[in-house]
Amino acid sequence: MTDNNQADHPCLPGGLIPLEQWRVPETSVRRTIRSGLRDILDQLKAGIHPDEQAFRSLDDLPTLSERQIQDYAPVPDREELARALLNELEQLRRSGGQSRKTSFLVAPPFSGIAEALRASGRRVIAPPDNLLMPERDITGWWDHQLQDDDWVIPELADFWLRHRSGLGLLRELFARLARDKVGEGIIGCSGWCWKFWTQYLPELHLAPLTPSPLSGDRLTNWLGHLAGERPQGPLTARMTQDGLYVLPAPTGDDERKYSLFTRDLATLARGNPGVALAIWRRTLRARPEDETQQQGEEDAHQDGRQCWVAPLDQLSLPAVPQSSARQSGYLLHALLMHGGLGLGQLELTSGLPGEELRIALSRLERADVVTGDEQEGIFRVQALAYPAVRRYLQSKGYPVDSF
Amino acid sequence: MGDFGIKDALSSITSEALLEALAVIVAASLLILMVQKAVPVLAAKLSGKPRLYLLASVPLFRLLVIVLTIIVVVPILVEPSFENMIAIFGALGLALGFAFKDYANSLIAGIVTLYEMPYRPGDWIEVNGRYGEVRSIGTRAAEIVTLDDTVIVIPHSLLWNTLLANGNDGTDNLMCVAEVFLDPNHDVGRMLGLFRDAIFACPLTKTYQPVLVTVAARETGMCYRLKAYPLEPREQARFISDLTARAAEICGDEGVPMVSYPYLQAQKA
Repeated sequence: MTDNNQADHPCLPGGLIPLEQWRVPETSVRRTIRSGLRDILDQLKAGIHPDEQAFRSLDDLPTLSERQIQDYAPVPDREELARALLNELEQLRRSGGQSRKTSFLVAPPFSGIAEALRASGRRVIAPPDNLLMPERDITGWWDHQLQDDDWVIPELADFWLRHRSGLGLLRELFARLARDKVGEGIIGCSGWCWKFWTQYLPELHLAPLTPSPLSGDRLTNWLGHLAGERPQGPLTARMTQDGLYVLPAPTGDDERKYSLFTRDLATLARGNPGVALAIWRRTLRARPEDETQQQGEEDAHQDGRQCWVAPLDQLSLPAVPQSSARQSGYLLHALLMHGGLGLGQLELTSGLPGEELRIALSRLERADVVTGDEQEGIFRVQALAYPAVRRYLQSKGYPVDSF
Repeated sequence: MGDFGIKDALSSITSEALLEALAVIVAASLLILMVQKAVPVLAAKLSGKPRLYLLASVPLFRLLVIVLTIIVVVPILVEPSFENMIAIFGALGLALGFAFKDYANSLIAGIVTLYEMPYRPGDWIEVNGRYGEVRSIGTRAAEIVTLDDTVIVIPHSLLWNTLLANGNDGTDNLMCVAEVFLDPNHDVGRMLGLFRDAIFACPLTKTYQPVLVTVAARETGMCYRLKAYPLEPREQARFISDLTARAAEICGDEGVPMVSYPYLQAQKA
C-alpha cells in the first residue's frame, strides 16, 4: 500500500490505499489562487460568452493524427490493470491488510477500475433489468446472485436509482456486506455513489480501498508506461513553448530540464488517471511554437518517437453552461452518482419533466459536458469536462465525492 | 459661549469650501449607490459562500465610505481643533436628540447590526411575523423579500426590543420542515423509513446535512415532520413542496389517508 508498489504495477502507480488516506495531489499556491479566481470569474461571466463553453485549443499548432494519439497515449490495458488489482488485493489479504472476505474498491469516475473488474475473469454480477424491484423480491435476487464465491460487481452505481423505490437493492447488499456474509467477491464503486450511501447509512464501515492518487511523478511514469517501449525507443514529449521535457520519465542521472507540466496536470485532474489521460491527449502537438529554434535539439531525437505538449493554459476545457436555473446541476449530479443514465431513468432521478430534461441535456451536449451513447441510449459526463463539472456542483452546494 | 462656539467654528466656512465638501459628498454618494446596485447583481450570479460574502460586504463598504467622507469633509469646512469638534458634534447631538430621535435610533442600530450581525444580506429572517430574505441593509433600515416577492422595510431600531429569528445565520444551510398529518392506525416505523427515503431521493436535498423525520400524535392526526436542508436557501419553497408531494405520493401508495384540520372540524360538527 505504499510507493514501493509502483515498480511492481506501473499501470497502478502507488497501489491501493485505504480511502481515508487519499489526498489530492499538491500544487503551487499561485495555481490554486488562479484556479479559484477563474471559477468565480466563470460564474460571473454567465451568459456573456455562451459559445466559449465547449473544448477549444487556444493555440494554432498542428495536433497529432488519431493514429499517433492512439500510439502515444492509448487507452489503458484493462486486463493488465485487472491483474494488478487482483495481485494487490491478494498481497493485502496475505499481509493482513484486508480482513474482510469482500474487497470494496471506491474510485473516482474514469479511473478505469470498473472496466478492469469486468475484464478480471471472475463471474460478473450484472444489475437486474428492473432497478425498482419490489422489496419482497430483493432478498431472493441477492441470494441467487451471491450463492458462489469469486464474483465481482464492477460498478455498484449500476444497481440503484435515486428514487424512493430504487434504494432497496443496495440497502439489502450493504446490510449483508456489513455482516460480511456475502462470500468472496470484489465490488467496485464510484466515489459519488459511495458518498451518497455513506450519508444514507452513516454507520456503514466497509474499510474501502482506493487507487493512490496520481501525483506529478506517478503521472509521468504512468504516461510513459502507456506510451510503452517501441523499437524506435520511448516517447519523448516536450513543451511547445520552452522545450522543457515531460517524457520520458526522469532517471537519477538525468541532465535534462523537466517541466512542471505533469504536476499541474495531476492537480487539474485531482489525481484521476482517466481525466488526466483525456486532457493529456488534447495537449499533444506535432510541432513546437518556434520550429526553427527547436530544430537543433529536435535533430538529436530524430531516432525516437517525439511529440510536443501544449501548456495547460493554452487549452480551454469544456465548462458547464452557467444559468440561474438549476436543471444542469440536477442532471450532472444524477449522471455522476449513477455513472450514466438513460432518459427515463434521468426523469425519475432528477425529477425533471421529459421536455425540460431534453432541453437541458442538449445544452450540456453542445457544451461537450455530456455525451449520449446512441446505441445504449445512455448519457454520461465527459472525462474532459469532469474537473469543471465537479467544481460547478461543489459551488452550487451539491454533495461531491471525496476525490 | 452662548451659541456653544458654533458661530466661531462655522465662521471659517467659505463658498469654495462648501462646494468642495459638496463635491466629496456627491462623489461618495455615487460610489455607495454604484456599489449597492452592482454588487447584488454580481452576487446573484454566484452561489454558496461567495454570494453571501459579497452581499455582506455592501453595508461594510458603505460604512467605510461614510466614515472616510466625514474624515475628509470636516477639515474642509472647519478647522479640526478640539473646541470646534466639541461645538460641531455637540450641536449635531442636540439636533439628532430632539428632531430626529427615531431616525438616529435606527442609524445607531444600523451600525450595531454591522458589528453584531444579527442578520446579513442573504439571511432568512423572521421579524414580527414577517419572513423573508434580507435583500439589503441600509443606513436606517433593512429590506427583506418575502417568499411571495413582497419587499418589507424593517427599521434597524426594531433590533432593540423585538425577537428576531434567523434561519441560516450567515451560512447557506437552512433547515426546512415539511409537515404532513396522517390518519392514525398505520405502521409508524414503516412510514418513518419511507419518508426518510423520500428526503434522500429528492434531488434538492443536501444529503451531507442532517436528515430527520419525527412523528407526534396530535389532535389533528399523526403529525410527521420531514426535516432537511435544501441545496440553496432560496429554494426552500420548492423544496418543501417537493417533500410534501413525495410524502403524499407515499401515503397514496401505502393506503394511509392524509387528514386536514378543516376535515376534522367538519367531522366534529
